[in-house]
Amino acid sequence: MNAKRAFYAFLSLLVPGLGQMAAGAVARGIYILLGTATLWGLTVFTAAQRARFPEQVYGLSFAVLTRLFLAALVTLAVLRLVYEAVARRLFPTDDEFARRVANVLFVVVAVVVFSLSGPMMLQWAVPPGASRSLYTTVLLIMAVVLAGIWWWAVLDAWALAEAKARAEPSPSWNGFIALVLVGTLVLGTRIVGIDLPKAIREYKETGRILGDIVWPWRAAFDYEATELRATALVQAPCPEGETGPPVNEPKEGEPWVVVTPTCGDLSVRDTKGKLQYGTLLHIRGGGFVPGKVVKIKWENPIGNEFTPRGLGPTEIEVGPDGTFESELYIPDVVIPSFAEGPQIHKLHAVQPGALRFTGKLSREMKLALQAMLESIMIGLMATFAGMLFAIPMSFLAARNLTHSLRTSPQGLVGGVFGLVLGGALGWLLARQVAAWLGGLDKAPVTVALVGFVLVLGGAVLGFRLLGAALDRLSRRLPGWANAAIRYGGFALIGAALGWPLGLGYAHGILGIAWDPAEVAAAAPDFARLGAGLGALAWLYLAYRWGDQGVVPIGHWIYTATRTVLNVVRSIEPLIWGLVGVIWVGLGPFAGFIALTIHTIAALGKLYSEAIESIHPGPIEAIQSTGANRLQTIMFAVLPQVLPHFTAFSLYRWDINVRMSTVIGLVGGGGIGFLLIQWIRQVQYEHAGLAVWLIAITVSTLDFVSATIRKRIV
Amino acid sequence: MLRVEHLTKVYDTGTVALKDVSFTVEDGEFLIIIGLSGSGKSTLLRSINRLIEPTEGRIVWNDIDITALDEAGLRRVRREIGFVFQEFNLVERLPVLTNVLAGRLGYVNPWWSLFYYFPPQDQRRALDALAQVGLAEKAHNRASALSGGQKQRVGIARALVQNPKMLLADEPVASLDPVLAHSIMGYLERLNQERGITILCSLHYLDLVQRYATRVIGLRDGRLVYEGTGEDIRNMTDEEFKQIYGEEAQRLGG
Ligand SMILES: Nc1ncnc2c1ncn2[C@@H]1O[C@H](COP(=O)(O)OP(=O)(O)OP(=O)(O)O)[C@@H](O)[C@H]1O
Ligand SMILES: [Mg+2]
Repeated sequence: MNAKRAFYAFLSLLVPGLGQMAAGAVARGIYILLGTATLWGLTVFTAAQRARFPEQVYGLSFAVLTRLFLAALVTLAVLRLVYEAVARRLFPTDDEFARRVANVLFVVVAVVVFSLSGPMMLQWAVPPGASRSLYTTVLLIMAVVLAGIWWWAVLDAWALAEAKARAEPSPSWNGFIALVLVGTLVLGTRIVGIDLPKAIREYKETGRILGDIVWPWRAAFDYEATELRATALVQAPCPEGETGPPVNEPKEGEPWVVVTPTCGDLSVRDTKGKLQYGTLLHIRGGGFVPGKVVKIKWENPIGNEFTPRGLGPTEIEVGPDGTFESELYIPDVVIPSFAEGPQIHKLHAVQPGALRFTGKLSREMKLALQAMLESIMIGLMATFAGMLFAIPMSFLAARNLTHSLRTSPQGLVGGVFGLVLGGALGWLLARQVAAWLGGLDKAPVTVALVGFVLVLGGAVLGFRLLGAALDRLSRRLPGWANAAIRYGGFALIGAALGWPLGLGYAHGILGIAWDPAEVAAAAPDFARLGAGLGALAWLYLAYRWGDQGVVPIGHWIYTATRTVLNVVRSIEPLIWGLVGVIWVGLGPFAGFIALTIHTIAALGKLYSEAIESIHPGPIEAIQSTGANRLQTIMFAVLPQVLPHFTAFSLYRWDINVRMSTVIGLVGGGGIGFLLIQWIRQVQYEHAGLAVWLIAITVSTLDFVSATIRKRIV
Repeated sequence: MLRVEHLTKVYDTGTVALKDVSFTVEDGEFLIIIGLSGSGKSTLLRSINRLIEPTEGRIVWNDIDITALDEAGLRRVRREIGFVFQEFNLVERLPVLTNVLAGRLGYVNPWWSLFYYFPPQDQRRALDALAQVGLAEKAHNRASALSGGQKQRVGIARALVQNPKMLLADEPVASLDPVLAHSIMGYLERLNQERGITILCSLHYLDLVQRYATRVIGLRDGRLVYEGTGEDIRNMTDEEFKQIYGEEAQRLGG
């Protein structure tokens, strides 16, 4: 028996999971094998991922991983043997608690051993020169995890065989799951690029920006600041023989600053980031308020003013006679590449004076408020427009309203012919009306609206009239006539559907303008093939429905509407925003279109679910008074769903406003547009204003809509 | 005259709720349908105005084959058949008056009615009907604010404004207490006797059946198992009644 167990364990040592399969637990074996293989593959892939030539590094990282893995496997085996020997002696084997303590101790010891021996293992496994491009620490951890899994599989095969022999339940998965989880998390941090040291090292820069964003309110208003300011010109760099601009003279009665020399070299940061000092400037000034501080500022040739850091004092106290003296190295200024050669810089000595609050909003605050209003309106309008389309769609997407729409196959034939005929008549009429109105260019909205209503109305009317007529007629006709209508009509419908499909396919290949006649002339086979296949498919349907005679059009409509709604809804508004921008260009209109499309789909689904959950009783009651479909909807359905519709719409408005604040990121207008502009221009304080306005608006709306909703439902 | 011929209903689930049921009802009769829970009473009543599509058989009313009608024809027949439900089926969020006016939907101009507009004479008719069931002062309350008995009276008023020639009532008193049950049945009896409206009503209580029926039919597992006059049933003992009805049969008075 023991020999058999050892054999299974050995099989799992060769290939993890093989032993389990041999012992009869095939699924378990497959899971283990797949889990191990996936982890191996992911590790190799991750290690090679960021290298410059991944296809070469795959092999390398695989080799390194294998070596590390073997080392870990052996180390674990040795540790395990030692553990068995020591634990046997120290802990009584029958004590459950003691066994757990021993297990924890084993893990702790293993971690210590691997962290100590890790560098050695890496030394051995990683060929010189390759270490940089491979995530060696990750490889090491993963090798240990994989070795752990390997050993677990071996021990599991043994324990499993034992359990099978005694007809006990299979041993637990816990060890395997824990190891796979650790491996996945380690790989996950690598793939996501989580780098805690970097986050900690570089928080300072963020801190400053965050500060601006968290409290940007000083940028919301205009101020009048008075200050004493004196300026000196300095030329840099200073080629041989040049002297730079003339040295200032001290003046009486106003602030002055004298810098010597007025020509020098910039400080430079070398490749290691160390500063090589440039020319030392001597600064003298006067005419300032005694006892207060003067600030030194540098202005580069393109007009950016900043405080030089680490190059000399920048805040100097003015002496009792109003003068001061200081020194400063010429800063390291990054000069734009188009401006090579000597440039004139400015040194300012500035003493802040009084600051007055004007009570006026700053230009940026006004802009932000305007854009916020635009966002709210985009959200509001999109909600209304969305509701307008979502309400009729939701009736089509409600199972309990559509399922009763059925017809006979003959009725369907009549309906489809009526649809085409009515649609065509509507189209002709619409063209007439359009010509009379002066064409699409003269009155686009009216013409489009009239066309839409006429074509749709004609199609629906034709469908209903001819469908009902043929349905009634078919009851009086003998069986063979009905069969003729069915087969003939269906063949025609199929051909009519297949023909354009075939043409469309050919059109895609040909790449010529969409003109059915032209495409048909160029690729007659495709048209014929499409029509033939379509007719065949529909002939089959005619045969299928023949005897039973019920066509569930309601169910078709329901399924089609639901599918469209689901697809449209699963595409994020930001992506619809891109579509909107392509369609009507940058600006709030594009955002409105994006949000409207998404709102129609989202509200359509919510509304239709509200409709599906109403009490059917009132519908029956209204129907039994002889009411028609529309009356039933108005009297039995609408009163029941209206509160839900209102609640959903409010909820959607609140979502839409939130969405409209980001739709600007893709050019859809509103405050998002302003926000992304300010962020790109590094104006974090102004961006902070936008963020604050968004937060205030969204949370207010959130609260308001929640309160109203609570009252309604 | 209503003729039900070989009516069979098989639900999509495969349940056979009615099996080859045939009977006739003369104009002006008060027919009561009895049967155990699940015996097919509701299915039968709903088939008559085609709230449920029968699977087989015909329903002929005053020489019109209801089962063969198209949608428009069906609406014209439905408006002359009132229906009273066990669960009242009022539209709870609408005012009582609008609920009653809904009974006129089959007669008025459908386009106007979509905006909840009804001609003055219809409004008067609705108020009259409410007065007849003693609820004139509740006309402008929401239907949800009424008690069960009041709701059922509104249900009757809604059927009344249809100016029906026939009234179908599916256990109209099953969710009401004994006193209310008698008052509701009293309304139905008055309609039957004063206006000559044919009534088909399903009921559970033997004493109500004995008190109001002019004819009785019994269903069991979807089959017609009993037919008798009001006289027959008044001469029936509780034991005989339980034979068709099963052990659940009871008297309202206890
Ligand atoms: N919509 C439905 N779908 C499927 N089966 C149904 C449906 N309605 C009723 N049935 C079944 O048809 C049978 C007859 O039901 P029906 O409601 O007509 O009985 P009933 O005599 O009115 O009972 P009750 O006294 O409880 O109202 C029952 O077995 C029931 O389960
Ligand atoms: Mg019932």
